[in-house]
Amino acid sequence: MFPAEHILYLSALLFSVGLMIIIIKQNAIMVLLGIELLLNAANLNLVTFNQLQAQSFTGQMFTLFVIVVAVSEAAVGLAIVLRVYKHYQTSVLSEINELKE
Amino acid sequence: MEENTTFDLLTGLALLTPLASFLLCLIISERYSWLVTITAPVLLLTSASISIYLFFTIPANTSYLIQLAWFHVGQYTFNGNVELNRLSILMMPLIAVISFLVHLYSVGYMAGDNGIRRYFAMLGFFTFSMLGIVLSDNLLMIFVFWELVGFTSYMLIGHWLEKPAAAKAAQKAFLFNRIGDAGFLVGLMIVWANTQNFDLSNLLHLPEIYSWQTAASLCIFCGVIGKSAQLPLFTWLPDAMEGPTPVSALIHAATMVAAGVFLLARVFPLFTPEALHTVAITGILTALVASLCALNQFDIKKILAYSTISQLGLMVTAVGVGSENAAMLQLVTHAFFKACLFLGAGSIIHSLHFAQQQACLSGRQVHEDFDVQDIRNLGGLRKKLPVTFFTFLIAGASLAGIPLFSGFISKDSIITGVWYWSSNTFSWRWLILISVFAVSLITVLYTFRMVWFIFFAKESRSNLSIVEAPWIMRIPLIVLALASVWFLVSLNPFSASGWFTTGVGDLQHSNLVTLLSSGVVLLALLATWFMYATENKFINSITFLQNSFGLDLLYEKVFGQSVIKLAAVAETTDRKWIDGFLHFTAYTQVSFAHVIAWFDTYVIDGSVNAMAWISGVVGSLTRSFQGGKIQLYIFWALVGLIIFLFFVLI
Repeated sequence: MFPAEHILYLSALLFSVGLMIIIIKQNAIMVLLGIELLLNAANLNLVTFNQLQAQSFTGQMFTLFVIVVAVSEAAVGLAIVLRVYKHYQTSVLSEINELKE
Repeated sequence: MEENTTFDLLTGLALLTPLASFLLCLIISERYSWLVTITAPVLLLTSASISIYLFFTIPANTSYLIQLAWFHVGQYTFNGNVELNRLSILMMPLIAVISFLVHLYSVGYMAGDNGIRRYFAMLGFFTFSMLGIVLSDNLLMIFVFWELVGFTSYMLIGHWLEKPAAAKAAQKAFLFNRIGDAGFLVGLMIVWANTQNFDLSNLLHLPEIYSWQTAASLCIFCGVIGKSAQLPLFTWLPDAMEGPTPVSALIHAATMVAAGVFLLARVFPLFTPEALHTVAITGILTALVASLCALNQFDIKKILAYSTISQLGLMVTAVGVGSENAAMLQLVTHAFFKACLFLGAGSIIHSLHFAQQQACLSGRQVHEDFDVQDIRNLGGLRKKLPVTFFTFLIAGASLAGIPLFSGFISKDSIITGVWYWSSNTFSWRWLILISVFAVSLITVLYTFRMVWFIFFAKESRSNLSIVEAPWIMRIPLIVLALASVWFLVSLNPFSASGWFTTGVGDLQHSNLVTLLSSGVVLLALLATWFMYATENKFINSITFLQNSFGLDLLYEKVFGQSVIKLAAVAETTDRKWIDGFLHFTAYTQVSFAHVIAWFDTYVIDGSVNAMAWISGVVGSLTRSFQGGKIQLYIFWALVGLIIFLFFVLI
């Protein structure tokens, strides 16, 4: 069994990397990827904190639920990105700024 | 009263017809320039006849004033009054008649000249200006006309402007006249400063003699020195002979140079005794120097020019000794006989030139391009040019002062004047008396020399077919020669008392002087006969005297070169110091301007630009938060969250 702190460090790293990807990456698909990382960091946390009460599986169940939601969210997000790409002929976020004006 | 208005009208007409002639010459186009040779003499004839009519109708010894306001300056009024007094009534016909005769003569002499319109225009304008001098009552008006006369003289001397000598002579005449006129102008200022008046009718009747009058009259005399070619400034007159000969006759013998003497006689009451002494000494020195020069010339016109200067010197002396009437008499007689002599010389030149041309055209290869004005090249012309010969002889006799001719009477009256002035006791005045006798002696010498070598001496050019000038040139000669005989002046050939002298005024007479002067003249005639007629070797001359006592050289050396040196110094100063200073100032200014420009660009503009730049940066910074970039929003939100957490958790 890994000690809980190690996994929390990993989760924090994962979360930071995800956040970095969201801020830095230009492509919308990569941003979606970053969002997946954030969700997975959260999942790791859920599983880790579930160890405090070894008899219940609430954390794991919630994680599974999050994975499902993440899948559907990725599907919807990718569909939107596809539409955006068709409309703007690009998926670079900084060029899609029609709402600005 | 009615008579007076006719006088006014006639005077105006006599004055303005020459001006009309001048204007006509300007208006008539180049194609019809032959018309000028008709209009100009006719108009001058009108002027001359009116002048003669006035001379005979206006009673002598009356003066009368035609009032004309000229202009006002402040409280002062300048009058352009015309005064008809005995002097102006005498001078008017003299000028107009001689001018008319010269016009007539010029028709023949100047035939075929390119500048004939300009020539006649200037002759007309000259006559107008000269009449203006004579008639004006206002010193300022006299000065104006005086200047106009100088200008026309300049134009006419330089008539053949393609000849460098003529252009130079014209310049010289103008320059010398200017020097004199500067003095005249100063004199006018002195008169104005002391009396606030230029009207001669007032000026000549001052209640007492003031001390400023000496200065004023000497300054006016400066103008006379320039115009009448007196001692320091006489060298322009011989050079002025570069002009056409009729011009020399009219301007540089008969009228313009006499303007100075006329002015002296006109303002005579203004002169103080001291000033008169200066006048007399200048006059007699001029007469002596010029007569000596005349004796050593070879050019006919130069001889006549120097003789003119010498005669003018005598007139000035006469004014100086107080017998201005004698000066005026001499002026009148001199005008006629000297005009005749000049026109005669012109006739000789014309005939010889014509003969030269004929010889050239006929193709005879003889060396006939000699200088026709040099008396050494002439000789034996009395048979070929009889009319010229006789008129020249009469006028020459008059010039020499031989009894029975007008010159004798006038010279006699001058000598009488000097005689009475020098008094019986011995003083320096006797020197002047002796000089006057000497001058009349030398006059005989050079006149005889000239006449002898032109008409009598051995004929040197027998192969030329010389014919007399056309009639239109002979008539003026004959008229002027007739006017040189005694009856023009008085019925008695030995004493100046006749119908003419009433116009001149009272003259002194002394039988002793008459006897003495006729003796001198006859003695001189005998002497010259033996000197020149018996042998020809006396024709050589002294170069020093030929060059008018080296005065020209002196002027060239002293004034010319010093002026050139001064000009060089001035030029250097100008270039080095004044220009240098200016350049330095300009350089300083430009440098300063550069500094200011730098300050302007970098400090003032810089600060403004910096403000703009800062606000721009701030603007773009603030704008960058709302750049429509979704990731940036997230980034800032994150930063905000971190700061929030930082404060909350720690």
